Parts: sequence; structure tokens; C-alpha cells
Amino acid sequence: MALMSVDSLAVHERLFAASLEIHEGEVLGLIGPNGAGKSTLLNAIAGLIPRTGRISLGGQDLQQLDSLQRARQIALQPQFIESVWALSVHDIVSMGRLPWGDSDQSIIREVMRQANITAFANRHVNELSGGERARVWLARVLANQALVLLVDEPVANLDIHYQQEVMQILHDYARAGHAVVIAIHDLSLAARYCDRLCLMDAGGIVITDTINAVLNSEVLSPVFNVDVYVDLDNRPPVVLAQ
Amino acid sequence: MERLLNPVLLLVLLLVAILSLGIGTLDVEVSSALANWVSSLVTGETLAREALIVGEIRLPRTLLALLVGAAMGISGAALQGLLRNPLVDPGLIGASQGAALGAALVFYFNFFPFLGTLATPFAGLIGAALTLFILMGLSGSMARPAIIIMAGLAISTLSSALLAVVLNFAPNPYAMQELVFWLLGSVANRGLDHLAVLVPAFVIGSTMLLLQRKLLLGLSLGEQVADSMGLEVTKRGRYIILGTALLVGSAVAVAGNIGFVGLVVPHLIRPLVRYRPDRLLLPSALAGAVVVLLADILVRQLPPERELKLGVLTALVGAPFFVWLVWKERQRWL
Repeated sequence: MALMSVDSLAVHERLFAASLEIHEGEVLGLIGPNGAGKSTLLNAIAGLIPRTGRISLGGQDLQQLDSLQRARQIALQPQFIESVWALSVHDIVSMGRLPWGDSDQSIIREVMRQANITAFANRHVNELSGGERARVWLARVLANQALVLLVDEPVANLDIHYQQEVMQILHDYARAGHAVVIAIHDLSLAARYCDRLCLMDAGGIVITDTINAVLNSEVLSPVFNVDVYVDLDNRPPVVLAQ
Repeated sequence: MERLLNPVLLLVLLLVAILSLGIGTLDVEVSSALANWVSSLVTGETLAREALIVGEIRLPRTLLALLVGAAMGISGAALQGLLRNPLVDPGLIGASQGAALGAALVFYFNFFPFLGTLATPFAGLIGAALTLFILMGLSGSMARPAIIIMAGLAISTLSSALLAVVLNFAPNPYAMQELVFWLLGSVANRGLDHLAVLVPAFVIGSTMLLLQRKLLLGLSLGEQVADSMGLEVTKRGRYIILGTALLVGSAVAVAGNIGFVGLVVPHLIRPLVRYRPDRLLLPSALAGAVVVLLADILVRQLPPERELKLGVLTALVGAPFFVWLVWKERQRWL
């Protein structure tokens, strides 16, 4: 049975009848052109914007949960994130526990270790580099230990080293009995780290299927309006505009 | 270090309060005068002159300065957290002007006569709440800090214009003079009945703010993150606005405009709580009380014939601080 199922989810003029299933242990990639509705879908699942349709998590309708209960099950990492105040890395990661109302130090220590940020736990977050900061934001959302983790463009501004590192952390999180949904533009990374892909266009879902079924030029070219070169047999796989 | 902050501030506040009770034209033994005043409350015996001065004049003035300072300090800290902007002050975003306008209308037109002495603070509260809600509406829910400052400027300009209209149509020059002096801000010549208004407003308002500490922390990473953590920004943010309106509205209605305390105090405290917006509230209240009490003690040291109003002093100190803050922020944005 699916961990989460989304049925006919719609957001006024931005998202139309989106249905998909998310399974335990999997990384589902959301791909599609700019404005396709990827962020809207993530925000709607996270309960941040008014929507219609049904979302059920482990058989339970999300509408029946209050906002804190929902936040314990579904965590969201928005694309743009910034700390207004010069908070310490440790304080930022502890914020991941806000939905639970605790500050479980063993979880906080563990996610800081996973994100490889233990060394600068006491530094101010605004003193860190972009790559280090991205891992701090990631550790914050991991600390929630939510069943379903929604991540919007986690690697957009990172160099190739940090891109790999962040994707690997998300991949490991999914395998540890959770599920991760990633909105991502880099199709090569999507091919490498996602288990299935959901291709979106103009506020609707075009196809949700395996990597091989989605990442081929017949499916991608009409959606992105560009010829696409795909080599999934290469290690690592390559998907580029021609 | 951080753990000691609140106890140390509390101790300083206590010392400054004792100093405030002891300072005046007449040298008084504070403890015996206070004891005499308290016992006369119980027994009903006539008061000695010292007991009268300390209990009926200096004590209300001290408590009023303390509460107004605490109200401004905690409101500033909460508003800066809610709007995620270190340049926010209840006075800079129009809340104080709104409160002043509301209170001024009651001065002239005797609105809410059934509320008696509570009418002015009540009108001040409505004025402050209205301006804050207009601010939130005008700047939008996902407002960038610069927009909030601009919206605040627009609203405080509007409130000031309306206040000018009220002054313009003052029924007589004395009423106008009285209003202007009141607007300058002072805690002199107030009695225990003013405290009866301020104390409940302070207790309710600051409790409302303290209950939203989680939200303030969550908002450090933006509204989207706070909402995704189940903190219900829109709903719980309203409690912060209402709490602030209650505090600023009642403080302004009782003491006039004591500006810049809400801006300066949270700024000075912030590094001491490692920039945590949730831990900023209580120490800002304590430090705000200390600052206003000290300012009032200073005002009382000046010759009485040309009295410097408390609000004028805090503005004289606070405004250059604000200029310096903008300068510092500018370097951050460049």
C-alpha cells in the first residue's frame, strides 16, 4: 500500500487534478519546466495553500489532522530559505523539533552528523558558505523525522560536490523508512538519485513512472520544447538538452 | 552567561526602582516610609508626610515608568520577531501614533463615556490595533522587510495627519496645550488609577506575546517554514498584533509617546540571547523597564521650572541610535 496517496489535488488556476502515490523508502522526483506547478504541488501537500482533493497518509485523511499533527508527518524544505537573525547552527537544527515541542538532543546530534555539520554547530549560520548553509537547512528539516519529506530544489545553487552530498543524504533518509519528494531541474541528478519520476507541465501531471519510462526524448521533448539527449546506461546517467 | 541574564536584569531593575523611590526634592527613608504607607492602607491611620510622598507620588510614578518601559521593550521585541526586521519599533510602524490618535479623540469628543477613566486607554488600544491590522493588510502576508517599513511609514504619516486635524480643531488653546504635553510623553502626575488600567493590560498583553515564542522562533526562517512546521502564522500572528496593540495602546494612553525604547532595547539584548527571537521577550521587558525608569530619574534631576518630558528624552537618545542602526543595516545590504 502506498505511504501517501494524493487524489485529484487542485489549487485554483495553478494545479489541476493531480493524483499520485508515494511509497515508503522511495525518492520521487518532480520534474518539469519552470511554472509547471512543482512548488505548488509541494506546498499544497504540505498544507500551506488552500486546495481541493484528498490526501491520505497511511490511510488517514490529512484534513482530519490539526496543523501540528500534520507538521509531524510531513516536512517541507522550501526553495528559498534564509535566517533573518544570526542564529547558531545548533539552534537552527533544533527548530526542526518545533512541531514536536521538544529538543531531542540525540536526534539533533544524529542529523547534524548525517549532514556533516557537527564541526560548526556553534557558528552563526550567516557566516557559512552557501554549500554549508544548504546542509544546515537540510539538517533542520531532517530533525523533524517526518514520514514524508518534501524538498523544493535543494541543489539549485550548489556546486557539483554539494549537489551529490545533499542528494545522497536525501536518498539515505528515504531508505530509512521514510519517503522523499524532490522538485528538481537537474535531470541527470534526478536519473541518478530518484526511484521514480513525476513529470509535470502547465499545472498538471503528464506521467508518473520509472526513470526509463519518463526520461526519454519522446516524453521530455514536447514538454520542455527542446530536443533532449538521454543516456541512462552511462555511469552516471546523462540527460541534457541538445 | 545567558542563564544569568534575566536574574541580573531583575536585580538591576529592583535597585533602580529603589533608587527611583528614594530620589526627589525631599530626602526620605524609603523602607520605613513604604512600610508606613502599607500599614496605613490596612489600619486607615493618617499618613506621615514621607509615607504620602513615597506611597502616593513616587510609587505610582515608579511603577508606571517600569510598566511602560517593560511594555515598550517586550512589544518591540515581539514586533521585530513577527515582522522579521530589526528596524521595527511600535512608534515607527504607526502603532504609537494610532494609539495617540485614538486617545486624543477621547480627550476631545468624550467617546465611550460609559467606560469612565478606561475610555482613553480603550481608545488607544483600538487605535493601535487598527494601525497594526492596516499595516499587515497593506504590506501583505509574505511582505519583505522594506515593504513593511514603507507601509509603516505610510500609516504613521496618515495617523499623524489625522492627529494634526484633531489638534487643528481643538475646542480651545488649553485643550490643545494639554494634548500636546500629553503626547510628548511623561509618567509624572499619574496616580494609582492609571496603574489600574495599565497593570491588567500589561499582564494580558505580555502573556499573549509570551505564548507565541515558538512562532517567533519558527518565523526566523520565514513564513513558509513556520507554516510548514504547523505554527499557523496568520492565526497566531494576530495574537502578537493584538498583544502588542494592548501593550502599546495602554502605555501610550497612560503615558503618551515614550518612543524608541521598543527599538533600542531589543537590539541591545539580542546578542546576549544569541539572537533567539523567542528568548528575547522577557529580558527586553526587564531592560525596557530599567531604561525608562533610569530616564525618568534623569528627567527628575533637571530643574522643575523647565521640565523635560520623558518621551522627549527617550527620543533624543533613541533617534541617533536609529540613525546608527540604519547606517549599519545599509552596510549589510550593500
